Amino acid sequence: MKLYFIVLLYIFAGTPGYVTAQSIISSKHNLSVSGPGSVKSTSKSEICIFCHTPHNSNPQVPLWNRNNSNTIYTIYDNSVSSSINATTGQPDGSSLVCLSCHDGTVALGNVLNSATDIFDGAGTKMPVGSRGFLGTNLSDDHPISFVYNSALSVSDGNLKFPPEYPATLDENSKMQCTSCHNAHNNMYGNFLVASNEFSGLCIKCHDNNYWDFSSHSTSPAIWNGSGTNPWIHVETPFASVSQNACANCHKPHNAPGKAQLLKSTLEENNCLDCHNGNVAQASKNIASELTKLYKHNVSGYNLLHSPNENTAGVNHVECEDCHNPHAANSTTASAPNANGALKGVAGINQDGVVVNPVSYEYELCYRCHADNSLFASTTTRQIEQNNTRLEFDISNPSFHPVAGTGKNTNSPSLIAPLTESSIIYCTDCHASNGTNAPAGPHGSIYPSILKYQYVKADNTVESSSNYALCYSCHSRTSILNDESFKEHDTHIREENTPCNACHDPHGINNAQGNSINNSNLINFDLNIVFPNKGKLRFEDRGNFRGRCFLTCHGKRHNNLSY
Amino acid sequence: MKSIRIYLILFFVACLSQFSFGQISGSAHDFNNENWNSSGEICIVCHTPHNSNTTVAGAPLWNHQVTSSTFTPYTSATLDATAGQPGASSKLCLSCHDGTIAVENYGGRTNGSEIISGNDLVGTDLSNDHPISIAYNTALATTDGGLNDPSTANSGLGSTIANDLLFAGQMECASCHDVHNGGGNSNLLRISNASSGLCLTCHNK
Repeated sequence: MKLYFIVLLYIFAGTPGYVTAQSIISSKHNLSVSGPGSVKSTSKSEICIFCHTPHNSNPQVPLWNRNNSNTIYTIYDNSVSSSINATTGQPDGSSLVCLSCHDGTVALGNVLNSATDIFDGAGTKMPVGSRGFLGTNLSDDHPISFVYNSALSVSDGNLKFPPEYPATLDENSKMQCTSCHNAHNNMYGNFLVASNEFSGLCIKCHDNNYWDFSSHSTSPAIWNGSGTNPWIHVETPFASVSQNACANCHKPHNAPGKAQLLKSTLEENNCLDCHNGNVAQASKNIASELTKLYKHNVSGYNLLHSPNENTAGVNHVECEDCHNPHAANSTTASAPNANGALKGVAGINQDGVVVNPVSYEYELCYRCHADNSLFASTTTRQIEQNNTRLEFDISNPSFHPVAGTGKNTNSPSLIAPLTESSIIYCTDCHASNGTNAPAGPHGSIYPSILKYQYVKADNTVESSSNYALCYSCHSRTSILNDESFKEHDTHIREENTPCNACHDPHGINNAQGNSINNSNLINFDLNIVFPNKGKLRFEDRGNFRGRCFLTCHGKRHNNLSY
Repeated sequence: MKSIRIYLILFFVACLSQFSFGQISGSAHDFNNENWNSSGEICIVCHTPHNSNTTVAGAPLWNHQVTSSTFTPYTSATLDATAGQPGASSKLCLSCHDGTIAVENYGGRTNGSEIISGNDLVGTDLSNDHPISIAYNTALATTDGGLNDPSTANSGLGSTIANDLLFAGQMECASCHDVHNGGGNSNLLRISNASSGLCLTCHNK
């Protein structure tokens, strides 16, 4: 009895070794009647024959048995992506033979060594809409059939040369379908030549700056099952952000966002599909911030952003204008240094020069809010300046200390740990409102995307909430106790005059103002403060002392000193 | 116990049935009814018991004119073997199938006109045909990665690929084809290619 079992074991162990998990036989490329896929022949038992013939092949290599589609393809080139450095042309080499099924124009059973269709006799082609269907428009697919050499690696700056094994180039140093796919072996899924977990295959060639330390490369976050699966574009997604890596956003074939092969045509959706509370942690739930009235309205612009755009590009804002998804991480920083969320993005420095990457957060803000006429002032003032960069110039008579330490050396209202030598971020004032809101100026219920309420209307009843923005740094008690300007309480609480009537929160440029008339951010709101006998002027007279020439709330200040 | 015996018997019967025994008579190489073969004999087109053609080393009692063509071998960037001019035994096949010598040029005749055509014509350009006359050994299998080791892999014919299908360690026409139709398979294949069984004997795909 025992002997029989041993004999049986021997027989089964001796069955042909090609019946293994990675064999073509168990893959969808087995189009024979024994194939495991839904697309397969109704009767043909031979497997190799759908692609290969031992005699009279065409093309000769690799003993090809299929009719060529003779199609002129729409290719991925620099008309699709202005950032592509490779020179692409019509598919050639081994890619052509792949396309003789995958472009959907040649019947699967249309082989050279048979006069009749060997698939099902009916001329069935690659089903339109299936994942394997590429069509004749390859402009939404990863480029192929281009020479990949050291020159390309240099000009691109984010490509390795040579590609790392097992990503290979063909005999003409060209990237082909076979660089990523092995038609005979599906052990890694999608016939990939290596596992793409953690984008292990992509990074054989792509060497993106910063990537290894980006949150999108390291985050263990998983989808919580709510809403739409953010990885629905992936046939067999991995569980976490870090495992899916490039595939979180990119799709190498049939990509809706062609230029960067993004999974979504709308730039923001590539981000918000995860940053909606369902994958990224709540503190990174940006989608909810963008439902607020005042926001960086990324959904208001489509297809205007380009990764290599210059600052003279078309007016728009996308997530990628402030964040580099290949670089962003959770590294903290102190003002004015840019934190991890802003890693690897371009901006304009205090001198008006483009910098890439930014060192300081304000340089990123200047990218749009400086040196252009996109944004009008929200308050009509004595001195108008819409160039934010000039408002924060450290040679100004006064400014909030964003680009450098402020001018005021005695500011008793500052709440610790703030001191007169502190530097603050733009985002200390301009940020999403709400106690647990994600950092950054994504969306706010308050105008100008302010973190707290800042009422600018005249005759506002003073309260901790109406001027919450100012009071978040400047002690309300100190202000109302007149610890600096002796008439603060009179103006703010008794006369219901808003902070904004006298103070210009950004700063007054040195070319327009001076240290006598414009110290302490004094730049009157012309809708509230009017001239008196033709004079509208503040004069600084030293520590906590000054005088005014103006008319406000019907009261004439004629050389009114304090 | 008894049922196991029955299963074993059934299994061996099934194994035996894989080896369907064919014969040259009635096959594509049975030329006895061809109008160019007045002898009515089958073997005579290739063989003679006496005074055989010895211009090709190892040619078995050869009775047919032998090709003197120069062939264009198969090349490919991914081919790890090197295919040169066809070896002796393959050259005998090509003496009809390269289309340069008439099939009736046997027994000393050299002026025949019956040239092979259609799917049977391989021609002198072998660049679109499976490479032949290549050394297929353990080293090649290791280098290629997609081939079974001929010294150990089962041919399905009783022994290893090297013993059953190779000739002096070389892959030749006769590695796939049995000129005498011993296998009884279509295209005179040694091993049935149902489920690509012949291809997958060597190719580990």
